[in-house]
Amino acid sequence: MKVKYLIEKIEGEAELEFDFKNGLVDNVNIYFPFYRGIEEILKNRDAMDALVITPRVCGICNHAHLIASVRAIENGLNKAGINIDLTQKAISLREFTLSCEIVQSHFKWFYLVALPQLLNLDRMKCPDNYILKASWASTNIVKALAIFSGQWPHASYAVPGGVSCDPTYEDIIQAESLVDEVIRFVENELIGMNIDEYHKRKEISNIKGDMAIIFGMLDKHNMKAKGKSYDRFAVFGEHPIFQTGQYNKKYSNDIDFAHIDEHPQHNSKAKSVTYKDMCYEVGPLARAIMTKNDFMLNLHDKYKDSVLTRVYARLDETIKLLVHIKSLLANLNVKELSCTLANMPKALEADGVGMVEAARGSLIHQSIIKDGKIQKYNIITPTQWNLSSGTQKEAGIAAQAIKGSVSIEEATFIFRTFDVCSVCTTH
Amino acid sequence: MGKDTMESVKKLFTTQSAKVDTNRGGEYYTDLYETCRKRLDELKALPVVNNKLDFQETIMDEGLDRRDFLKWASATTAMLMLPASFTPLVAEAAQVMNRIPVVWIELSDCAGNSEALLRSDGPKIDKIVLDIISLEFHETLQAAAGHQAEKQLEEAIELFKGKYLLFVEGAVPLGMDGQYGTIGAKAETFKDHLLRLANGAAAVIAVGSCATYGGIPAAAPNPTQSVGVMDVVSGKPIINIPACPANPSNMVGVVLHYVLTGKIPELDSLLRPKFAFGYRIHDNCERRAHFDAGEYVEEWGDNGAKNNFCLYKMGCKGPMTFNNCSIVRYNEAVNWPIGVGRGCIGCSEPDFWDKYAYERPMANANIKAPTGGVEKTVDEFGLALLTAAGIGIGIHAVASAVAGKKNSEKDA
Repeated sequence: MKVKYLIEKIEGEAELEFDFKNGLVDNVNIYFPFYRGIEEILKNRDAMDALVITPRVCGICNHAHLIASVRAIENGLNKAGINIDLTQKAISLREFTLSCEIVQSHFKWFYLVALPQLLNLDRMKCPDNYILKASWASTNIVKALAIFSGQWPHASYAVPGGVSCDPTYEDIIQAESLVDEVIRFVENELIGMNIDEYHKRKEISNIKGDMAIIFGMLDKHNMKAKGKSYDRFAVFGEHPIFQTGQYNKKYSNDIDFAHIDEHPQHNSKAKSVTYKDMCYEVGPLARAIMTKNDFMLNLHDKYKDSVLTRVYARLDETIKLLVHIKSLLANLNVKELSCTLANMPKALEADGVGMVEAARGSLIHQSIIKDGKIQKYNIITPTQWNLSSGTQKEAGIAAQAIKGSVSIEEATFIFRTFDVCSVCTTH
Repeated sequence: MGKDTMESVKKLFTTQSAKVDTNRGGEYYTDLYETCRKRLDELKALPVVNNKLDFQETIMDEGLDRRDFLKWASATTAMLMLPASFTPLVAEAAQVMNRIPVVWIELSDCAGNSEALLRSDGPKIDKIVLDIISLEFHETLQAAAGHQAEKQLEEAIELFKGKYLLFVEGAVPLGMDGQYGTIGAKAETFKDHLLRLANGAAAVIAVGSCATYGGIPAAAPNPTQSVGVMDVVSGKPIINIPACPANPSNMVGVVLHYVLTGKIPELDSLLRPKFAFGYRIHDNCERRAHFDAGEYVEEWGDNGAKNNFCLYKMGCKGPMTFNNCSIVRYNEAVNWPIGVGRGCIGCSEPDFWDKYAYERPMANANIKAPTGGVEKTVDEFGLALLTAAGIGIGIHAVASAVAGKKNSEKDA
């Protein structure tokens, strides 16, 4: 029996076409009925135009796109023999803004998508203050981001060689106080305990607050161990609190852009992506697995890449990042240079790759520049890794995770644990 | 450098760009006050469209008090270019906004305006106001999803026929019979969806550069043949609020104006509200003094950058861009692009993606520099192109001096 189902609230729509056999999902095809042609638009433009155009792929992870396109140019310059050494200040500011963007996205996913969807399973109306909570928390962390980036979404403050802003101590104090407020929100609302106590947790059941609600619901609906895919993970983007590499039965820190392939999909403009011919999961769970902390390793031993580990990883990462960005601000040396490359070389010939960890996983930009103009630009988004229908050989990551679901409600929740975004997938 | 170019540069920096009538005389405002008073009383008698959030309660939840609210009301009154005596009316209008049904749809976009306007931006009260008015019908924010949401939308446009404000985010792709973007289970194309919803709307408000001019999807070679709302919808009042993303204050301003007066605000010939797009970024820029003093950033990270000098030489498009960012700023007004040392990219101007884009020198940017009043700006692009940023700057020193002289002559 074939059933079509529309998924909304994902900044666009997705259509899932289920194949049911004996009451269980046997197969699923995923379509995104949307296309803008951003890569076509980038062709033949000035190399630097990418910095303005690519963020506009996505209203939620626009900053990750900006950093990826800057890194692609810098990588190309380095390969062309023009050495780019960022100052620690520039590195820290980019990291700060990138991390803030991940945090705001996770808040929105949790309060606007995941919790309401689960409450809906019980026909329970979602309390309106979830919307206000999401709005309050994401507004404040984005404000901290905008102090350095000028605006969010769609800032363009990162330039090859560094950043354009030159923050003062006052800016830093303002950002610190905003981060503190958001940490207080996390302690009071999200985890129901202070961060130190959270770090001492032994079990998931020790966690309180709104996070406890979601774990309780997963338990109640018997979904903790559902949603398993291939248990393969990849992390491409460099970030001091994430380890790059891949996991497929065993850990490896070797990961190479050259092994990535894109495959056109039937009926959809979104391409699927493979690494060494296999589908890999990217995102908070992949990052948590690669970081190998004990709590996660235990959870993974027990539940593998299930709904529980995936939901937990996304929320835990929110807290980790907030703690990390606080220390970034505390250690920022404002006396360092903001930018070390004064001007872009004329008639640039470069071929570079920029990889970044965005909210939903590894985001990759490849730009081939000839005579200062973009010859080819390729954008590979996290949702392409996770949300494709798959390849000839195997089903995609989310498609595999959905197999065996007992109902459409369960299947769509599993789908949403990957944090769906239509505009990125299709671009 | 040719004489034409020299003249045009002079003209660019000497013409008073602000031709917005901010004082229309006592009689006008007395009449307007009466009209607004009557309108608000009528609205108060109407049932609440959306009772999910109560304005007063929500303000309390956010830890704001009446004083914050009144501060906001007086700032908004000024933004709408109304006399201070209208402040109590604006405050009242904010509280009856939930009598105005709003439908918000997303077409070919990146959802950036939704993000900016509804969840991540705006002086606090703007955001609350937007949360309240748009909760019911905004796809991402409303409680319902899937078929339930579709049903809700259909009911809303039937029930509020002729009364609702339709907010549109995103461009309309016309290529391939509209198959580049479809919506709902019946795969209705974005164009058909827009036309159907616009048909029953009181007015259509295009939010962001995609909805106004086609935006990034319409950038050359425009793979999906995307256009803006005004290229597709006819026979309805259309208001354009460009910028990428559009500023929430301007959106709230438009809605408030409609609540207050029952009419759409005064527009320029690109259908932009004059209260927000009547001035150039350059006119009120915090770095303007450095421009006038000839102090520029010449390279990223140089001394000029450290001292917040003018970004004109780095390709700032502030002198060509009509918007109120320099006053309203972004993200609860914490900052704005020029504040972090990046020039304006002209994101609220038509075709910015092809003409302005990055810090491309103006000579390569095919810019027609605007001068004169707002209407003049868009209708009579009479200026020659600037030949090169560097030369332009050289000339500017002369032009500034001339400007100073002219003004003092006039004064005398």
